Amino acid sequence: MTAETSTIYLLDKVVGTAVEAELRDAIEEAQLVDWQTKWQPALIVVLQELARQRVPMAQWPQSWHWDWRAKMTQVAGLLAFRGFSVLCAGVTQGLMRVDLNKHAREPGQKGKPLVYIDYLEVAPWNRTDLGKTARYGGVGTALLSAAVELSLQEDFKGRIGLHSLPQSDGFYRDRCGMTDLGADAQYQGLMYFEMTTEQARTFLDEENGV
Amino acid sequence: MMTKRTMTLNLTDAEMRALEELSAKKELTKTAVIRQALRLYQTIEARVLKGEKLVFENDATKEKAELMLL
Repeated sequence: MTAETSTIYLLDKVVGTAVEAELRDAIEEAQLVDWQTKWQPALIVVLQELARQRVPMAQWPQSWHWDWRAKMTQVAGLLAFRGFSVLCAGVTQGLMRVDLNKHAREPGQKGKPLVYIDYLEVAPWNRTDLGKTARYGGVGTALLSAAVELSLQEDFKGRIGLHSLPQSDGFYRDRCGMTDLGADAQYQGLMYFEMTTEQARTFLDEENGV
Repeated sequence: MMTKRTMTLNLTDAEMRALEELSAKKELTKTAVIRQALRLYQTIEARVLKGEKLVFENDATKEKAELMLL
């Protein structure tokens, strides 16, 4: 199967202008190689610096132990799981894995199917929580938009859901306008968020500059 | 978007009723219900093949019942 590619635009935060990037509806070997050979070394530098500054581990990037190769191998060939990636300047800038088997919990859409975001991570150099300026902005929202678009394509009416790592709670609540359904005791106490059909429409309108 | 292929599906009246009910309840087209069912069936089959069990738990009583798959 060949991955479908669409053109998106990210913000190059170094020069302050929009830059062309690719959104791919797959995570392929090249992306996993980037994760291994580019993300991992960059992350190790960040973790060493955090350790040197005696920053408590609770404040470290909470996805530092994610193994994308294992996560994709685990669901290889399964129709319910899909991968997405964002590439810019020939390098993978963000990755996302989604699950199409889950159902909504928000009272207004309870029991209806949604696109559940299992994992979403941007490259270490694009993170804003590591005390440095991100290289490219908009990678996370591009991946979230892809999840909403997939939800529309699958007739799920734009509904998406996810458990958020604490460092990202504000992003999903304030930036993406998702409904905060509180801590989920069944899922390591992580906050659970959902986007309704109406919220999805608003989110896409804002992303598309409508 | 991925290329799609078309097939004809023959269903009994009861099966069509069940499909229509699910379609209405889940707010999905009939095609989307069938695609969702296929994904779920494939996921369950893969997990059972790995030695896992499919168990339903009653939210209130916490009673568990295993769904036997052939």
